[in-house]
Amino acid sequence: MKEHPSQLFGVMGEFATPEQILSAAKQAREAGYKHIAAYTPFPVEGLAHAIGFRWTAVPLLTLIGGLGGGLTGFGLQYWVAAITYPMNIGGRPLNSWPAFIPVTFELTVLGASIFAVVGMLALNKLPQPYHPVFNVERFAHASTDRFFLCIEARDPKFNLAETSKFLQSVAAEHISEVKDEG
Amino acid sequence: MNAQDYTAPASVSRVQTAGLVVGGVALLAAIFGAVSSPEKFYQSYLFSYMLVLGLTLGSLGLLMLQHLTGGHWGIIIRRPLEAASRNIWLVLLMFVPIVLGMKSLYRAWLDPEKLKAEPLSAYQQGYLTSAGFLGRAVLYFAIWGALVWLFNSWSREQDQNREDRALRRRLKLLAGPGIILYVLAMTFAAIDWVMSLSPHWASTIYGFIFVAGQAITAMSFMIIVVAALSNYEPYAGIIQERHLHDLGKLLFAFNMLWAYFDFSQLLIIWSGNQPEEISFYRTRLYGGWGVVAVIVLIFSFALPFLVLLSRDIKRSASLISKVAIWMILMRLVDLFWMTRPEFSSSALPTWLDIVVPIALIGLWVGFFALNLKQPPLLPLGDPKLAEAIAHHEH
Repeated sequence: MKEHPSQLFGVMGEFATPEQILSAAKQAREAGYKHIAAYTPFPVEGLAHAIGFRWTAVPLLTLIGGLGGGLTGFGLQYWVAAITYPMNIGGRPLNSWPAFIPVTFELTVLGASIFAVVGMLALNKLPQPYHPVFNVERFAHASTDRFFLCIEARDPKFNLAETSKFLQSVAAEHISEVKDEG
Repeated sequence: MNAQDYTAPASVSRVQTAGLVVGGVALLAAIFGAVSSPEKFYQSYLFSYMLVLGLTLGSLGLLMLQHLTGGHWGIIIRRPLEAASRNIWLVLLMFVPIVLGMKSLYRAWLDPEKLKAEPLSAYQQGYLTSAGFLGRAVLYFAIWGALVWLFNSWSREQDQNREDRALRRRLKLLAGPGIILYVLAMTFAAIDWVMSLSPHWASTIYGFIFVAGQAITAMSFMIIVVAALSNYEPYAGIIQERHLHDLGKLLFAFNMLWAYFDFSQLLIIWSGNQPEEISFYRTRLYGGWGVVAVIVLIFSFALPFLVLLSRDIKRSASLISKVAIWMILMRLVDLFWMTRPEFSSSALPTWLDIVVPIALIGLWVGFFALNLKQPPLLPLGDPKLAEAIAHHEH
């Protein structure tokens, strides 16, 4: 039988502690690698920074969602109460803005949250039923007790032998090639 | 970790001297004002006093909150919080002028002429008496003083007996009821000392507005202290951006909480539109006081809200401490707006409104620095201390 052609996705090393992967990630950046991904069973503070994840559009999207929600909330109330269906309630002004604030606030939170969550999913392309790293058997430990650092093949500095040696030098265990069989 | 490794840097002594000198000089000027125009002096004194009370009690509140919830942010500022709370004796001493000025400040329920014109209800007549006022003040200070004393002495005890689990449990166990007691006492104190300026007006959320304001005041002060101390040993190697980030996030949250309380009061009164309720806002939302109200809305809430959204600002010691100084100044403006309209329709501050706050804050900071020098700057007995100051971020 002919073997399914598989492409090299990257090289992955395994670490036992968050400190180790953090220091390895920093050294990988210093060595000039740009396309690094880290997989850990729990969030490791500083790791995102260490692998070179500097900027994300999520805060901006959240701000836009918040502003949009707030304007919608206030606008809807203003439009209903002051323009389309004006009613005199106890002599209060039609544009009773203090009474509009709670709904405005709620819709600001709603808009910001929806934009943050959906924006985050859109930007990190989750959920992903298939990813090349799943082909590495030991990767199952990424959700329990092991920390994985993957240097991807698209990195300009990537070289199978060199990169594997580099991972060895930063004390990674079980260094394995990640094949993309998709 | 040894106690001598964590003694306060020499700069704390300089702050102590500067605070006491500036406060002392301003105090002399304030005393001159108290003699020449006592009425104006007491009015300036009241809102300035509420600020330094907030620095002290807000710190006590945050201290109890940290015992209750844990968190690295609280371990870093635990000793400064304790030092600030130990100023309770100073704040008690500073209460004396309010007692002396009672007749001038609380005319609405102490002046027989005023009472004849606008009589109090039977219940208020029983509550708003000078004996009741003094007796309750003694009770409030007894509650706060006891909490300050217990949390400070147990904390020092913990430095010695680091493995004493019963002691840890005791600190945690008292923190919950302690917060309730503090908030209750503060609610009544706010009613007695500030809300009673206009006894015909009432608001049930009033005490919470003060408590949230005190949390902002104390958290801002702690940010200033931590940012300043981070330039010197022993904090230099300990304070990290993540600590300032956490403190900044809490300041942001407290600011939101304060705005929420303040707006709730406005919304309910505005919706109800009852003559005896709207008097509070009638005097504060129009004319010169209306301008001050807008200043408070924009510069105490909106601007800090937007500025504190930024992660970079929260993580920069120099920027976040500037925001914190600004917040304390705005607390002063807010307290001015809460109290002064009861005395004057003019929103312009007098020279005493500048001098008296400087006197009280200067003296308060001076004694705070003195307190800070006593125990080690970090709670050596806290079981999570090593984790809180560790540099590997996880």
